[in-house]
Amino acid sequence: MVFSDVDDLGIQINSFLSGTMETDSVTSGKDPYRVAKYCAGNIYALKGRQFPESIAASILELQKKNDYDYIFIGSTAIGRDVAALLSEDLGFEVASEITGFRTEGGRIITRRFFYGGKTVLEESSTAKILTVMPGISEPKSSAKEGTVTEIESPASRITLIGAEDKTSGAVDLEKAGIIVSIGRGIGKQENIEKVNPLVEAVRGELAGSRPICLDYHWLSEDRQVGLSGKKVRPRVYIALGISGQIQHIAGMRGSKTVVAINKDKAAPIFEEADYGIVGDLFQIVPKLVEAIKSGQ
Amino acid sequence: MPVNIIVLFKQIIDIDLLKADPSTGSPLVQNLPLRLETLSKNAIEEAVRIKEKKGGKVYGLCFGTEKASSALKEAYAMGVDEGLIITGYERNDPTRTAKVLAEKIKTIPHDIVMMGNQSAESYTGLLAGKIAKILGEPLLSNAIKVDVEEGKARVVMATESENLTAEAATPLVISVTQEINEPRLPPVMQILQAGKKPINMEATSISGSSEVQVISNLAPKSERKKLVFEDPEKGIPEVSKAIREAIK
Ligand SMILES: Cc1cc2nc3c(=O)[nH]c(=O)nc-3n(C[C@H](O)[C@H](O)[C@H](O)COP(=O)(O)OP(=O)(O)OC[C@H]3O[C@@H](n4cnc5c(N)ncnc54)[C@H](O)[C@@H]3O)c2cc1C
Repeated sequence: MVFSDVDDLGIQINSFLSGTMETDSVTSGKDPYRVAKYCAGNIYALKGRQFPESIAASILELQKKNDYDYIFIGSTAIGRDVAALLSEDLGFEVASEITGFRTEGGRIITRRFFYGGKTVLEESSTAKILTVMPGISEPKSSAKEGTVTEIESPASRITLIGAEDKTSGAVDLEKAGIIVSIGRGIGKQENIEKVNPLVEAVRGELAGSRPICLDYHWLSEDRQVGLSGKKVRPRVYIALGISGQIQHIAGMRGSKTVVAINKDKAAPIFEEADYGIVGDLFQIVPKLVEAIKSGQ
Repeated sequence: MPVNIIVLFKQIIDIDLLKADPSTGSPLVQNLPLRLETLSKNAIEEAVRIKEKKGGKVYGLCFGTEKASSALKEAYAMGVDEGLIITGYERNDPTRTAKVLAEKIKTIPHDIVMMGNQSAESYTGLLAGKIAKILGEPLLSNAIKVDVEEGKARVVMATESENLTAEAATPLVISVTQEINEPRLPPVMQILQAGKKPINMEATSISGSSEVQVISNLAPKSERKKLVFEDPEKGIPEVSKAIREAIK
């Protein structure tokens, strides 16, 4: 069974599993009918806005009824809590934050980042619950469409007071072919317009490091790349004024070509770049735009 | 109405200083300095702020090793009133850690159990849910804001797409995110006073049962070209060429 409160992640997990396992899906996301295009089994759509406790209770019912071999859960704020609650309910171990897995003689071999992204940890366990990182697969539609059933939410000890949407709605960094990403080296919010000509010249999407998106709110949160943000894999990733801390690298490691501009020769980003230019981004970016436009 | 809070914290190796053996890729974890884990500091800060506003007591609880006394001292300096280190930690095993901590929490009267939503080195993010389940208390997770009122707490919970405001009755478990606050740097006087507080330790008798086998734990190899130009005049044409090829 696959659960995610973020539709795209549920779709990715179903696509990853297609051909190896039959799946049912549980979703508390926005559009269960979209999930149904990628999952041939039953789609159980949880009604209303739900918290981890009530989601886990609904999944527990389904697990008791259908006895799934594995429960794959999208690794999101809500997903990780649901996995934890279910693991105590069911006595199942959890393999968390996985980026890939295979089964081998009744055991499951999983891969994940460890030490804040500095290492890749490969483990063998008997885990039956797995929390799955975004970006595990491209969406692959299923030959047969799933059947959607709505499920009422069980009573909850948690009262919802209000909800505020924080997606800008327009960006899908995970699908972007070219990304121009800015870090604290941008200095101030007004300077963002100085890199816009580059974004336009390469027809890219603008993204940022965590301080830019989360601490300063200069870009919306859904543009954050990194361990706790989006995992992106564009053809070109252009890092401007980003130091390249490991938590940032964890989000852009899948990029095909990495370009870095940083005034500090010793910045770790240069260890993770194909092309690097040492210097002031405000001097270099306009020249680079000119070079790209004039085809030099 | 005073609020009694148990705050959970963890000690980790300083992962920013972690290097891998260049030939094998093995992380060189020996002799690295230890520090109070990042999100634990946010949890301590939030607990102490609530105490400063409402009165009550903050009790710090850590599952670790004898070496965690420095982490407990730092927690004291930040404003934790009383603390305990449960020793016997061996490795990342959330099921065991949750059991060890929850069994202790059951013996300490509290309104709130507070902790980080994930830890900076393992990023597993299971502890809050597991502890809430064992205690049978409601879970308000991933908080970017906490308000405590008579007999209940209200949090703003950050999910990937929304900020949800939610409320539940105490006693309850709250996990916080890194964005919730900026942890204080305690003044020297407070650090000195913290040094005089008792370091209580107690060994756990709960053993781990999970039979996870580590196959490998290595730094991923970087296959990047690493063509770094110190002269922009040389670098710009190269970079421009690479970009133009990619966007064709
Ligand atoms: C649990 C956890 C999760 C995290 N998750 C993420 C995450 O998902 N994403 C993320 O990005 N971070 C994450 N972080 C934070 C991460 O550790 C770094 O703090 C962050 O990535 C640094 O952002 P930065 O590179 O923009 O800023 P800095 O590290 O301050 O780097 C700024 C860089 O800009 C350069 N610079 C300054 N001025 C100029 C100029 N004029 N021209 C050119 N270069 C210039 C400087 O030399 C410097 O290298 C996380 C941290 C933790 C603890």
